[in-house]
Amino acid sequence: MIEQKVVNPEFLFFTAEKKKLFMTGSEAVREAIRKANVDVAISYPITPQSESMHLVGDLFAEGYVKEYFRGENEFAVMSSVAGAAMAGVRVFTATGGPGTLRAFEVFPTWAGARLPIVCAFMTRGVNSPLTIQPDTIEMAYLLETGILMLHAETAQDLHDMILKAFIVAEKTDVHVPVGVFADGFFVTHTKEALEIPEPDIKLPSYDPNNSPVPPMDMESVPVRQMRDPFVMKSNFISYAAHASWQQEVDAARERSRKYLEKYLGGLLETENEDADVLLVTSGTAVCQSREAMAAARAQGLSVGLVKLKCIRPFPAQEIKALAAKAKAIIVPEFNRVGWLAKEIKSVIDEPGKVIGAPRVYGGMTMPPELILDEIRRVSR
Amino acid sequence: MNKPIFQISPGFEEIMPPEYRELVANGPYGKGFGVSDLGSYKELIEEHPLCAGCGLALSIRLALASLPNPGDTVIVGSTGCSSLVFPQVALHNIHSLFGNQNAVASGLKRALKLRFPDKVKDVVVIAGDGATADIGLDMVMQSWFRRENITTIMLDNEAYANTGGQESGMSRQGAVLNMAPTGKKFPKATLPEVAQAAGCAYVAATSPAHPRMLEKAVRKAVLIAREVGPTYIQLFSPCPTNYKFKPQETIPLIKQREKEGIFRNQEYISDEAQRFLDSLEEARKK
Amino acid sequence: MNEMSYKVLPGPEGFLPPAAASMGIELPEVGEALVEGGVVSAQQGLEKIVEKLISAKNPVFFPGPLILWNWKDGVAEKAAALKELAEAVGAKIIPMPDYRPKYPMINPAIEVNPNHPNLTIWHNKIDVCVFIGVHCHYANVALKIIRGGTSCYTIAFCGEVGHEDAMISLRGAGLSELKKLTELVKKRKGEVKGD
Repeated sequence: MIEQKVVNPEFLFFTAEKKKLFMTGSEAVREAIRKANVDVAISYPITPQSESMHLVGDLFAEGYVKEYFRGENEFAVMSSVAGAAMAGVRVFTATGGPGTLRAFEVFPTWAGARLPIVCAFMTRGVNSPLTIQPDTIEMAYLLETGILMLHAETAQDLHDMILKAFIVAEKTDVHVPVGVFADGFFVTHTKEALEIPEPDIKLPSYDPNNSPVPPMDMESVPVRQMRDPFVMKSNFISYAAHASWQQEVDAARERSRKYLEKYLGGLLETENEDADVLLVTSGTAVCQSREAMAAARAQGLSVGLVKLKCIRPFPAQEIKALAAKAKAIIVPEFNRVGWLAKEIKSVIDEPGKVIGAPRVYGGMTMPPELILDEIRRVSR
Repeated sequence: MNKPIFQISPGFEEIMPPEYRELVANGPYGKGFGVSDLGSYKELIEEHPLCAGCGLALSIRLALASLPNPGDTVIVGSTGCSSLVFPQVALHNIHSLFGNQNAVASGLKRALKLRFPDKVKDVVVIAGDGATADIGLDMVMQSWFRRENITTIMLDNEAYANTGGQESGMSRQGAVLNMAPTGKKFPKATLPEVAQAAGCAYVAATSPAHPRMLEKAVRKAVLIAREVGPTYIQLFSPCPTNYKFKPQETIPLIKQREKEGIFRNQEYISDEAQRFLDSLEEARKK
Repeated sequence: MNEMSYKVLPGPEGFLPPAAASMGIELPEVGEALVEGGVVSAQQGLEKIVEKLISAKNPVFFPGPLILWNWKDGVAEKAAALKELAEAVGAKIIPMPDYRPKYPMINPAIEVNPNHPNLTIWHNKIDVCVFIGVHCHYANVALKIIRGGTSCYTIAFCGEVGHEDAMISLRGAGLSELKKLTELVKKRKGEVKGD
């Protein structure tokens, strides 16, 4: 293995000296994993994710990752990752679009089994006819699986969120998987300037002895232990046990808020939050919105921006408070169904304020002019 | 001396439920017991809810009694009748989903190698025929292709028993079952041959009608999986409930099938695995 | 229910009570404890536990696998300290040796199980119970079921970060806290006798 100095997470995130590097989102994944002290990484190709796990494979060859292999399909990969996590090691994988759906059955069981897996999702369309293009629709399906969901706007976000995801996921009181989402191609395949710490430091290793559930290694108690047994009598008590278990997964997600606030600096961030019109969105729709906001403000319109960094847990109270002051909430999205607009409507007092537009999909880009049109329409 | 995980904290011996006191005082960990010791020690299975005469229950009991190193063995199971037994088994074991057992075991084994480089941790998959030959077949075979160091044991009751007796790939041609209302239209899958072709270093087919043969197969399979490569054992475990025979007829039915030449006990050992077994034998003699 | 007003109190709370964490109850920080959903100092938490234990009619300790099994250094000392505390309180000990759903049935006289802890509490008429050495996930599963169906006052002695679903919860608690509790109990019992 390559020699790296173990540093505390706060030092790595906030204090370590950073270097400016120009790289793609996939390369940003590599740089995050280089410092993440990952034990096992398991890969499977799918566009636009493949390159990120190639690069993680390179890290394995170089000695930064202890074990790495290509699995046979996403359902199997997510299962192998679960097996490794149950053995008490830190694991990483990535997928996207149809791969996410192929693996879908596994995600709620990751959460139910309290596995602190970090998975990057490079989002893409899932419709027929086949598309490889960016689309965030898979996030809609993942909302209620119990996993935490962070959404990167940039390669910098992707890098930072992956590293922070491990530390949040592994907190004893959280200990559920974290998905870090990045819009395929827009983030994975475009280059930007990143500021990242030197590669000679890494996160502390994962300690399975602080897990809220026992690791499966025959070194932990109790010995008579299945991960996870069904409580399958047809009686009230069995149902109550299952219900309490599910509530506990939700509770774990609630407990993650304080850590996410500490490490991400809030579940959302705002620019001009007192404006009449708020653009509220996540992922690369944020940078399109930022451009639209700048153009609108140049024309004297009162427009602000809310960037959602965390989708699960959802910053409901924060959004509710922001929405109360705004006259209109515009939610631009890279998908057909408008899942984010629905989420926002469900938490604010006046859902009628929400304009679920513009929406583009099928790989289309989102010209800021489309957002500007909506701003003009509501500002009239 | 028992590993610390099998020791009750001093002063708490009396308050532990009796089955744990027995397990600690007289369990199989580190003792090198085999099937001939059954009845003389506290077994790993505490109690189970399977049907009277269940072939699966016999196979699981014998397979667990045959493990060469139960104190360091982790089991991966799958959905089905057997998953109702495993919560009661005094070994770490995993139920993940239906069919993904060999994928889970692959990740588990590799991670255990990383965490415990100086210890042997055996990973043994024990799952039904539906899980192994149907829904999980790709992951079973892929784990063999990748030469994962795991043992796969199929409990073959020739049907999906826990869901009410549906046809599986391991049902015999002509069998009338749920979802095969006019009889199964194609033959029983030949998994031992598939396993051999897919890279298993050791393959055996046997049944609880031959406890000693079953024991030898499990021991060889687990030892070979540690050092040489993947191993596969298929245990014919008839289901009285769904095939509608009397509970006491399970073993006679297996023997009847053997007599008719329908079921064959089989064993395949690769040259490399044989050399490995020979070297173990030589070391033992010295 | 208004989230801000939620209190973690003895039940029976209802058909399916919520997780306290979902009702806005947050875990204590280092040096703090939770009492009925509110943050107090760790010392106050200890004192409240003592008060509940010595005023209980039938206090029972539920030690879990992490303390019942002598699996790593330091456990035996904690186990001995737990026994001493239970003796000082005059409490019974009913073990939670594992987390499996137990078939065909549990014997509530001799053990407790996280999937149906209420059976043991009802059977033994337990009014105050203490979880100790139980993995956090299973403790939380059990604590909610207890709040839902029983009037038992729950106390979680947690070596990690605590439990919102218990009525009193310590965090980072270990040998020294067990010893402190024993001392406090002995002192209070002496005072009570002296009255």
